[in-house]
Amino acid sequence: MSISVFEAARPVFTGLLVAVMVVVGAFVGHWAHGAWLNDHTPVQPIEFSHEIHAGENEIPCQYCHTWADRSASAGVPSVETCVGCHKGLTEVRDKPEIEKLFGYWERGEGIPWVKVHDTPDFVHFRHKPHIRAGVECQTCHGPVEEMARVTRRVDINEDLRMPWCIDCHTEEQVANGRDCLTCHY
Amino acid sequence: MTDKLREYRADGYFAKFDYHWTMAIDLDRCTGCGACVVACQAENNLPIVGEKRVRQGREMKWLRVERYWDGDYPHARLNFIPILCQQCDKAPCEIACPVFATYHNQDGLNAQVYNRCIGTRTCAVYCPYEVRFFNWFTYTWDEPLEQQLNPDVTVREKGVMEKCTFCVQRINRAKDAARDEDRRVADGEVQPACAQSCPTDAIVFGDRNDSDSAVSRKMRDPRAYEVLKELNTAPSVIYLKNAREPLHAANGGGHHDDGAHAEAAEPHAAAGEPRMAEVESAVT
Repeated sequence: MSISVFEAARPVFTGLLVAVMVVVGAFVGHWAHGAWLNDHTPVQPIEFSHEIHAGENEIPCQYCHTWADRSASAGVPSVETCVGCHKGLTEVRDKPEIEKLFGYWERGEGIPWVKVHDTPDFVHFRHKPHIRAGVECQTCHGPVEEMARVTRRVDINEDLRMPWCIDCHTEEQVANGRDCLTCHY
Repeated sequence: MTDKLREYRADGYFAKFDYHWTMAIDLDRCTGCGACVVACQAENNLPIVGEKRVRQGREMKWLRVERYWDGDYPHARLNFIPILCQQCDKAPCEIACPVFATYHNQDGLNAQVYNRCIGTRTCAVYCPYEVRFFNWFTYTWDEPLEQQLNPDVTVREKGVMEKCTFCVQRINRAKDAARDEDRRVADGEVQPACAQSCPTDAIVFGDRNDSDSAVSRKMRDPRAYEVLKELNTAPSVIYLKNAREPLHAANGGGHHDDGAHAEAAEPHAAAGEPRMAEVESAVT
């Protein structure tokens, strides 16, 4: 009569197997959450199309996002900016989305845009130094001028994560670009 | 890794700093008003932890004004010393951290990276100045107080260590402005919240590498000293000694028992020694 070591150690193996499955599951789940389960293309209060504005009509980004080269935040244009142009554009005045815009304008309300690109609280991204260094908006935001509704890219390698930032800072030899305090404070 | 640490610890490494941010605190000017403490609290999104947590020793205060009594009651005088993170060049906390969440950067700042911190609290144990604080909870701000949070500073969550940053958000902003004009940050351009709010200008902040800066001049003052210098931590906060005569010397020296004290104190008061008068009014 012999005692099998494997027989005796079965609970240990089972435990290990469960542990491995849990770890793998956590990784897959985390990835799935990042890739699919987050809303990368949120529905906006007005179906504003960058494809029409920045693509077809070739309005420069900083015509509306005025503060990109002067401030940490690129800024979302005020309703006044939208109406400033659209008052004169009578041929599209009766489109339902434009009606919505003038609704906000007449009520004196801001448009509750949904944020697409957001960094966590502990990351302090500043637009100004990047724009002044000549980084294209599309480098991080993707081809916005082709987007009917703005979407955040989800490619695991090109997603807006820290390695993405660090790679560029390393390549461009940014002064103190790899110091943690440059972004995290 | 070990080689890197050795290089980091070697003498002369710290001469390589681009800027060497230093703070000088003149204790002769400090009145202990606590404006710096309040300013720090507001600037850096520090939570109000509440009475219960304070009793548990979980207070959050990057900058505190410590009190020291000179002499015995009632002939006593209160001395103040603001204590904040000393941004030591040879910081004990930096060796302690297992994940390098605290390290020294090229500007001589002792950095604390919140998103890298895993909350072992080892750094707080190693810190001889007791200036590191741990987030035991995710603190929240009741409406409308969350409106006054500083957007330039992270709101820390449960499980991370935090400490004075020398208001690095202001330093970064000044460097950003300087870079646009292609120059170095000028002396006096950066002021941490505590220095800005100090009514007596006791706190001076600047670059030690610039020998003409206000802080360099303060460092050359014969009153300059470092707290716990014997630990060889090379702090970046320089204190200027309180130059007032120690109270016991003014009193005629030594410790008196009550009866003798009354007799000894009387002639001084009669002689109208201003120092004693000051003390009396401070006590009452």
